Amino acid sequence: MADATAHTGAPQKRRSRGLSEKGLAFWMVSPSMALIALVAAYPIIYAVWLSLHEYSVRQAGLSRWAGPLGLRNYTTALGNSEFWSAMTTTLIFTVSSVFFELLIGLAMAMAMHAAFKGQGLLRTVVLVPWAVLTVVTAIMWRTIFESPQGFVNQILGGDTVWLGSEPQALIVIIIADVWKTAPFMALLILAGLQVIPSDIYEAAKVDGATAWQRFRKITLPLLTPAILVALIFRTLDALRIFDLPYVLTKGANGTTTLSLIAQETFATNRIYGLGAAYSILTFITVMIVSFTYIWTVGGNIRGLAED
Amino acid sequence: MTKRLMLMLCAALLCGVFVAACGDDSSSGGGGGGGGASEESGTTEGAKVIDPGLAESAKGEVTYCQGKDTSGNATFMIEEFNKKYGPDLKAKLVEFPASADEQRTQFIQRQQAKSGDCDVFSADVIWTAEFASQKWLYDMTPYMEDKKAEYIEAPVETVTYDGKIWGVPETSDAGLLYYNTDQVKEIPATWQEVYEQAAQEGGIVYQGAAYEGLTCDYLELFFGAGGEVLSEDGTKSTFAEGDAAVKALTLMADGVKNGAAPKAVTTYMEPESLTAFQTGKPAYMRNWPYAYALNQKAKNVKDNFEVGPQPTFEGGEKAGILGGHNSVISVYSKNPGAALKLIEHIGSEEIQKAYAAQFSLSPVKAAIYDDAEVQKAIPFATDLRQAITQARARPVSPVYPQISQAIYKNVNAALAGQQSPEDAVKQANSDIDKALSTF
Amino acid sequence: MATEAAVAERSEPRTKTKKARKPSGGTPWWMWIAIAAIVVFCLFPFYWLVNLSLKTGADLGDSSLFPPNPTLANYESIFNNGDFTRALLNSAIISLSTTALALLVGSFCAYALARLRFRFKFGILALVLSITTFPAIAIAAPLFRLWSDIGIYNTLIGLIIPNLTFALPLAIYILVSFFKEIPKDLEEAALVDGATHFVAFRKVVVPLAAPGLATAGILTFIATWNEFLLAITLTSSPAARPVPAAIAFFTGSTQFEIPYGTITAASVTISVPLILLVLFFQKRIVAGLTAGAVKG
Repeated sequence: MADATAHTGAPQKRRSRGLSEKGLAFWMVSPSMALIALVAAYPIIYAVWLSLHEYSVRQAGLSRWAGPLGLRNYTTALGNSEFWSAMTTTLIFTVSSVFFELLIGLAMAMAMHAAFKGQGLLRTVVLVPWAVLTVVTAIMWRTIFESPQGFVNQILGGDTVWLGSEPQALIVIIIADVWKTAPFMALLILAGLQVIPSDIYEAAKVDGATAWQRFRKITLPLLTPAILVALIFRTLDALRIFDLPYVLTKGANGTTTLSLIAQETFATNRIYGLGAAYSILTFITVMIVSFTYIWTVGGNIRGLAED
Repeated sequence: MTKRLMLMLCAALLCGVFVAACGDDSSSGGGGGGGGASEESGTTEGAKVIDPGLAESAKGEVTYCQGKDTSGNATFMIEEFNKKYGPDLKAKLVEFPASADEQRTQFIQRQQAKSGDCDVFSADVIWTAEFASQKWLYDMTPYMEDKKAEYIEAPVETVTYDGKIWGVPETSDAGLLYYNTDQVKEIPATWQEVYEQAAQEGGIVYQGAAYEGLTCDYLELFFGAGGEVLSEDGTKSTFAEGDAAVKALTLMADGVKNGAAPKAVTTYMEPESLTAFQTGKPAYMRNWPYAYALNQKAKNVKDNFEVGPQPTFEGGEKAGILGGHNSVISVYSKNPGAALKLIEHIGSEEIQKAYAAQFSLSPVKAAIYDDAEVQKAIPFATDLRQAITQARARPVSPVYPQISQAIYKNVNAALAGQQSPEDAVKQANSDIDKALSTF
Repeated sequence: MATEAAVAERSEPRTKTKKARKPSGGTPWWMWIAIAAIVVFCLFPFYWLVNLSLKTGADLGDSSLFPPNPTLANYESIFNNGDFTRALLNSAIISLSTTALALLVGSFCAYALARLRFRFKFGILALVLSITTFPAIAIAAPLFRLWSDIGIYNTLIGLIIPNLTFALPLAIYILVSFFKEIPKDLEEAALVDGATHFVAFRKVVVPLAAPGLATAGILTFIATWNEFLLAITLTSSPAARPVPAAIAFFTGSTQFEIPYGTITAASVTISVPLILLVLFFQKRIVAGLTAGAVKG
C-alpha cells in the first residue's frame, strides 16, 4: 500500500528516501557488532589462546604449547577433583537459589498484585534488595550470621558456625542470593500478572472456578513467558556467581564455585593457562545451559527475531 | 553490495583479532628460551643486580609502598627521611589495603604491568621466592654482603633465595602464646600440656580459618614435632614423611573435638581470636606481637595477661613461625639509587630503634633489643628476641601460595571434622606435590 | 493528526488502575500479613546494616537490635576518606558513560533487529544474548594483560570498555522487546507521509520507547555500578577504583581488623542513591517490564 501512495508523488522521492532497508539495517547494527567484537570477541579468543598454553609460574616469561593438541590444560582441569566439586557446588547453588527465588518471587508477586493500597511504595520496598550492591549484600549477611555481631545464633539457639561449616556456608550464600533476587523475580512476574485482563478472571468466577483453578488454568499459563524470561536470566547468572562466595567465604568450606576456582587459579596462583581453561570451561557450561533453554523454550527469542 | 561489505568487515575483524592474539603471545612465548627449563636452579639467572654505589649520588623521588600504615611507623620513617635528605631527595608513601593478600595482588599487578609506581615495596617474608623467580626484584647481594652480620639470622633467611639476597629485612614478627594469668600461672613446657589445660578450663583460641594464618599456626606445631615440608632442594614434598604432620594435626583436631578450642575457631582470623581472648574466657591465645598493645587496652584482660614464646612439642622442639616484612626494590623502578638510600635509612639505628620503642614493632637487628628505651616500650622484648631467633621460616618456594593453600585447606577440613587427620595429611601431601610440579 | 493522538495515548505507562477493578470488600486480613512479611523480608537486613553503621567500638560486637549509643562517627569518617569519595565519583562516571554508550549504540541495533528485514537476525540476537552469559573472569583475565600493554590499566576508560561487554547486549535485548511492543501502524503512517526509516525511528519510535529506554538505562546503570570482578582486577589505585572495590579496601585501626562500622556506613551510603533511583523510576521500571517480559 505504501508503494502505491508513494508512486503518486514524484518518482525521485522514492530513490532519495535514504538508505534501503538492508542498508539502514547494516549501519544501525554494525556499531554494536564492532563494539561487541572489540570488547567481547577479542577477550574470549585471547582467553582460549591462553588456555592452549602453559605459562611458567616459576620462571618469568617462559611459556609453551600445552601438549600435542594444546589441550593439556583441559585434561588437567577435567581430571581435577576440585573442578568437579566446584561444578557440583555451582549446580547445587543454581538449582536451589533459582527454585526458591521463583517460589518466593511468585508468592510476593501474587500478594502485591492483590494489594491495592500503597502499590508504589510496596514496589520500591521490594526493589531495595535488588538495588543494594552484591558486595554490600554479602557484607550484610555476613554480619547477620557471624558471631558476635550477628544475631542468628541468638534467635535459633545453638552455636553453629555458619560460615565455617560445610553445608551451612553454602546455605548462607543461597539465602543471601535469594534475598537479593527473589524481589526482582517478583517484579518481573508482577509485570506479567498485570497484563492479564481481569475480565478473564471475572468470566472464570462466573463459571464457578475456584481460586486454585483460576490460578492453575489462567494465571500460570499466561505467566509462563514472563517466568521463563526471568528463569533464563537468573539461571545463567547463578551459574556464574562470584561476588557472594568471594566476599562471604572466599570459597572455603565447600563454597568454591566455577568462577571462583577460575579466578583463584588465574589471579592468585598465577597459573594462567589452567585458569584460562577453567574460565573457558565455565563459559561452555553456561553456554550449554543457555542453548538448552533456547532450544526448548526459545519461542520467545524466535518471536523477537521474527518480522 | 552491503551484504558483501558486512561479510568483509566481519572477516577483517576476525583476522585482526587472531593476528592480535597471536602477535601478543609471541613476545611472552619466545622470551623464555626453550621450554622445559630446569625446575629450581637458575630460575633467577640474569636478574638485575643492584649497584651499591648508586646510593651515593641518589636524588629525585622515591615511592615506598606498603599495607595500610595503621601504626604510623611508615609515615614517621618517610618524614624523617625527607627531613634528612630533602629537598634533593624526596620520599612518598603509598598505602595498600591492610590485607596481606591484597598487598601481594597490588604489587603483582604493578609488576605485570611493568609499572615503576613502587620503587620500594614492603614485602611479606613469604613472597621473596615468588617475586625473585619472576625477576621482579633487584638482586641485593652486593649491598647486603657486609651488613648481614648486624641482622638476626632468621629474617635474613626469609629474603634469601637461590643463593642470593633479594631485599633487606625491615621488621620481624613471631608467633607468641598469650595467656590469661587468672587461669594460668605460666606457660607449661609442652603444647600437649597446653591443650590438656585448655580442655579442662578456659580453652585456647588461634587462627583456624582457611587462610595463610592457619598455615602459620599449624606449622608451628608441625615444625615443633620435627617435620619438614619440603626436601632440601625444594623440589619434593616431605610433608607426610614420619609422623610429625599427623601428630600435630591430631593434637589440633582433638582440641576442637574435646572443646579445648571452640568450634568457631575454624572461622577465626587474627581479629576474631583476639576478640575471643579479650572476653577473658579463654586461657590461651596464639597470636602475633601486635596483640600485646591491644590487650593492654581491653578491659577484661588488661591486668591479667602475659605473653611468652611458644612451648616445645612433646618429643620434639620449640618452634614459632617467623613473620615480618622485607624491603625489596622493583626492577621497574626509575630511581634505584634513591630506593637504595631509602632502604639504608630504614635499616639505620635511629629508625630501627624508633620502630621498636615508639611503634612496638619487632626489630630485625639483634642489638636493638638490648636498648633501654626498647626494653621499656616492649616489656617482653627479651622473650620476643628469643621467639624470633628460634622461629622457623615457612617453606621457601616460588609456588608458596599454592603450598600454603594445600596446607590450610586440608588442615581446616580436619579441624572442622570433615576429614580425618590422616586423610587430611595425605591429601595435603599430594596437593603440595601437585603445586611443586607446576610449570 | 491521528498519529499524534495515537502516540500521545500510547506513551502513557500502562498502570494497573487502567485495567483492574477494585475487588468487593476491601483487602482481606491475610493480605496485610502477607504485605508485612514482604516488607520485613526486604527491609530488615538493610535495617540491620543501618543499625551496625550507627555503632562504634565494642557496641559492634553485641548484636543488639538498636544501637545503644547511636553515632554518626562512621559516616563522618568515610566522607573524610578521600579514597571513598573518589570511588563514588569513579563509579558515577563509569556507570553513566557505560549506560549512555550502551543506550545510544544499542538502540540503533535494537531497532534494526525489531523492525527491519535482513538476514542473520536470529543469529545476531542469539549472539547478543550469549554475550550476556559470558563469565566475567574470562573477560577480566585477558583484559588485564592487554590493558597493561596498551597503557589503560587502572583508568576509567579501561573499565568502561569491559562493562560495555555486558551492558550493551543487555540494553539491546531489553530494547528489542520494547521496540516490538510499539505498534507498527504508527511507523507505517510516518513512512507513508514520506519519512525515511531513520526519521521514523527518531521521531516516532524513540519517544514511544522512552519508558523502554529509561528501563534499559536504569538496569544498565545498576548493573555497572554493581560490577565487582572487573573492578578488582583492572584497577590498582583510588584513581580509577569504583565503589565495590573501594569497600574492600576499608581498613580498621590495626592490620588485622575488619571495620564493620565504616564498611556498613559506606554500604548504606552507596545504597541510598540507588534506592532513590528506584523510588523515582519505579513506575517506569514496572511499566517497562510489562512490555519486556510479556508478548504484547
